[in-house]
Amino acid sequence: MSDASTFKTGLLGAIPSLRAFAVSLSHNSDKADDLVQETLVKAWDKQSSFQPGTNLKAWLFTILRNEFYSQMRKRGREVQDSEGTMTARLAVHPSQHGTLDLKDFRAALDTLPEDQREAIILIGASGFSYEEAAEICGCAVGTIKSRVSRARVRLQEVLSIDGEGEFGPDAIASQVLGSGAAA
Amino acid sequence: MTEQKSAAAGPKSRRGDDPLGANSEIGKKLREYYDGLMADDVPDRFTDLLSKLERAEASKDKDGNAQ
Repeated sequence: MSDASTFKTGLLGAIPSLRAFAVSLSHNSDKADDLVQETLVKAWDKQSSFQPGTNLKAWLFTILRNEFYSQMRKRGREVQDSEGTMTARLAVHPSQHGTLDLKDFRAALDTLPEDQREAIILIGASGFSYEEAAEICGCAVGTIKSRVSRARVRLQEVLSIDGEGEFGPDAIASQVLGSGAAA
Repeated sequence: MTEQKSAAAGPKSRRGDDPLGANSEIGKKLREYYDGLMADDVPDRFTDLLSKLERAEASKDKDGNAQ
């Protein structure tokens, strides 16, 4: 019984990040909450297959992600676009003065292919390691790395970010050389 | 210039596979976006759901023990 309540506490604690991940995947907060609900029920049922001491959050993200893709397959990928992401896809205009608006950023994020978007979210925002993200997505670590790097390049393109001193894999080299001084 | 070089080489070289780190505009925005999502209040439906699941589990256990 105390096992169950520890587990429950763990689930409760994970809800905010599960919701954030679900919204990132589905672009839609109603759909996201359904996804989280489904994830919690599944997790509860599969409780015995969770090994205490391992990463509960990663385990839950895996369930949520599987659920998301299986729902998508069932629906045949229809109307992912209900909230006008297609429009966003066509017009992302970062504000003129070099500061990046959060709305612009979301729109840019939505232009990414799903696999790249989830990879950059898991690594850059959810705080997972490449190894954990690979496990969650059921792919190789190298695949995650290349998705993240493509996502980043793509976001930079879409948002016309340049002159940051961070360009792809050579970022370190260009930083060490001091892009500020060179410019 | 020399100063800048040595300052840059230290911590940054250790951040070799963290291209989304503190100095990256993309990385910063990504976290801002995500933290905004995380900050939303958790709707009651989830806490209710978990309590319901827990109660169901508890009564199942009781049944199990009784037999």
